[in-house]
Amino acid sequence: MKKKVIVACGGAVATSTIAANHIVDLCKKNGIDVDICQIRISEIQSNLDNCKLIVTTSKVRRDYGVPLITGMPFISGIGVDKTEKAILDVLKD
Amino acid sequence: MIWEELNESLIMNHLDAKDSSDVFEKIGGTLIREGYAKDDYVDALIEREKDFPTGLDIGGIGIAIPHTSVDHVLKHGIAIANLKHPVQFIQMGMDDEPVDAQLVFMMAVTDPGKHVDQLQRLVDIIQDRDVLSRLLEADNQNEIISIIKDKEETL
Repeated sequence: MKKKVIVACGGAVATSTIAANHIVDLCKKNGIDVDICQIRISEIQSNLDNCKLIVTTSKVRRDYGVPLITGMPFISGIGVDKTEKAILDVLKD
Repeated sequence: MIWEELNESLIMNHLDAKDSSDVFEKIGGTLIREGYAKDDYVDALIEREKDFPTGLDIGGIGIAIPHTSVDHVLKHGIAIANLKHPVQFIQMGMDDEPVDAQLVFMMAVTDPGKHVDQLQRLVDIIQDRDVLSRLLEADNQNEIISIIKDKEETL
């Protein structure tokens, strides 16, 4: 079954699209079937059904009861390996 | 490629700016004067930066990539400046952590679809710390263009 991942940013869609593209490639390489749901931070709450992971490129303080990882390393290039591993750890099981 | 679209009149070397608003006035003002952005572009930059900061810390080198929505832009372009003194920006995705920016890439975006593509290409450039170090030292417009061209040819 496809695993739903929410990718959200606060402002324009550009940074979250870059993060989303990276996650799609990462999951493809690791044989994980994902369904990316790209939305604004304000829309997370109403899209939580079956969601396995949330990746954001803006700061989020709220706890949605779903693992939340910052996608900023996909923009800055710093800490990409660690972030990839964290995403895979959540999605693998 | 970004380097092909660079315009010397939008590149500023060792720009003297006292804070981020001054950066927006000087670089954004140049985009307005050169016909890339509308008169309200600078105000829009300042407003957007408050809500969605654009500073990034790339392994100890601070940069900023300010931009606005398409409503304030007339034609697509990118302005680049290395700063005489670092200027404080808030980091993207952090909303309270500052970073001392030394390089600014200001995007004038007319097409949101194209924006993603342009941002992805910019991201490929800025993730290379050596390229950033060279851009910081660049003394003229041609040097900045050729550093970016060299990098893009390796991608």
